[in-house]
Amino acid sequence: MDLDFGFNLLNMIVKYIFVLFISAIVMAFGLPKNILKKVNKEIENTFNVEQFQLNSKIFPSNIADALPAKFGSDNLFEIKISDTLLGYAYVSKAQSKTDYFDYLILFDKDFIIVKSKVLIYREDYGGEIGSKRWLKQFIGKSQNNILNYRDNIAAISGATISVRSMTNAVNDVLQSIKILHQKNLL
Amino acid sequence: MKNAILSVAILVSSLGFSQTISQDTTATNLQQNAVNTILSSKYKRGVTIGGYGQVDYNQPEGKNGELDVHRFIMFLGYKFSERVQFVTEIEYEHVKELFVEQAFLSYSLNDNLNIRGGLMLVPMGIVNEFHEPTTFNGVERPSVDKSIVPSTWREIGIGVTGRFNEASLRYQAYIFNGFASVNDGKFLGGSNGLRNGRQKGAESTINTPNFSGKLDYYGISGLRLGFSGYFGRTQVEDDVQDIDGADVGISMLGLDARYVNHRFSARGQYIQAVLSETKAYNTLNGSDLGSELKGWYAEVAYNLLPLSKEQKLDAFIRYEKYDTHAATKEAGITRNLAFNRNEWTTGLSYHVAPGAVVKADYQILDNAVENNKSKGQFNFGFGFWF
Repeated sequence: MDLDFGFNLLNMIVKYIFVLFISAIVMAFGLPKNILKKVNKEIENTFNVEQFQLNSKIFPSNIADALPAKFGSDNLFEIKISDTLLGYAYVSKAQSKTDYFDYLILFDKDFIIVKSKVLIYREDYGGEIGSKRWLKQFIGKSQNNILNYRDNIAAISGATISVRSMTNAVNDVLQSIKILHQKNLL
Repeated sequence: MKNAILSVAILVSSLGFSQTISQDTTATNLQQNAVNTILSSKYKRGVTIGGYGQVDYNQPEGKNGELDVHRFIMFLGYKFSERVQFVTEIEYEHVKELFVEQAFLSYSLNDNLNIRGGLMLVPMGIVNEFHEPTTFNGVERPSVDKSIVPSTWREIGIGVTGRFNEASLRYQAYIFNGFASVNDGKFLGGSNGLRNGRQKGAESTINTPNFSGKLDYYGISGLRLGFSGYFGRTQVEDDVQDIDGADVGISMLGLDARYVNHRFSARGQYIQAVLSETKAYNTLNGSDLGSELKGWYAEVAYNLLPLSKEQKLDAFIRYEKYDTHAATKEAGITRNLAFNRNEWTTGLSYHVAPGAVVKADYQILDNAVENNKSKGQFNFGFGFWF
């Protein structure tokens, strides 16, 4: 009887640890496949390269947590060919009206934006922010710019919430980069 | 005893697990609110809750006023997977009338193509699709979007929608059920055109499916252009469908534009509907439906607050001209000039926070009848959208 109970409990614990373990792996295993594929494609087209490495840039959590944008293990990547630095890629999520969208910002070596793209947009409302023409506005912006929706970033009628969200997201990334620079971490 | 301990063990372990998840959610998505925690697309599924509504006070000059909870809508969405989504809007109008405003299932094939079916909005002009009170100026929706485009115009149908980011283009194409020729004893007629024919997906009759489509272009900075089309016939019950005048043909076209540049914004639209076989319809039903409905409006607004403020105070002015008897000769009826209306609306929209607006405006309502004395109306109200 007791043995049976002990076995059951052990079984529970093993299952519990296993679930935790799996979720830890999923969380730390890098970008989801579909996102990674789109990121790679954008890097290939923007930097005109075929082979490159993506190395995750990780910052001490006490510093990363205080930044305006998210800088976890799968957000900022160095883009390198052997030992030559081409630029950086920043991948994250931002909120649309009722869902999240995934976006990518590509920087050159000096952290000036060379491309921005909405990777996956999941609802109908506000999908206009995927427009190539609209996203062009971010090109050339750097940590020295402060982006304001409707001021230096144009609005799109019928997509206000997502336009504001994307503008704030890019601005938060730029301001975070500024802070990381000031702390000599970049 | 054994079972009791086991249950406790399961409980503790499951508590521990759910805690792990919520902690993780808090750490990784700092900006989200309570509702959105449920939706975190990390889990690729979930419930969305939202809503919008407006409470109005209308005060015509020389008459008693009206206070109305004009509409209150609850939005509910559920995401079954990354591709499959259900969306519904449940609406209370004037407190006591209950409607389902939208209820459709959407399947996303890829970035450019979604299939949708169910009760959906007919894309025509600006307001029928973007009808949340925080998205338009004025306490009431523009009259063109009431008498010419019978918003909120929705029927059951199926169709495709999607975007081309390279071209900054959005498209929609649907097969919808149409207006009823005679709707619960109400006829299509002079004052409100097609409005009485809306079946709204409630035990609706169908004998001829109708086509509806819209293209939106947003490739020029600050500008959004829309081109809509709707073609078909009204719907008839079995027993009368072969009678002359049982139904009418409809061809409706719409052009709309919205522009935003810093603190300045403007919008306008033009809608024209040509109806065929109206003479037979009017003879059969004793109605006064015109053979052409036409209307347009233009509006400019300026935000009086600096752009650095999250709040917005738009001062606006709008001119509307619309005629539900734009053509009557072919309809075999006398033109009623009282249906050739024009309106000035001017006022303020104070967006106290994104999603909450307090509005006040004054309207001068006039028509083409000779020596008609224009009427004034003051409107005040609030609207919200979350």
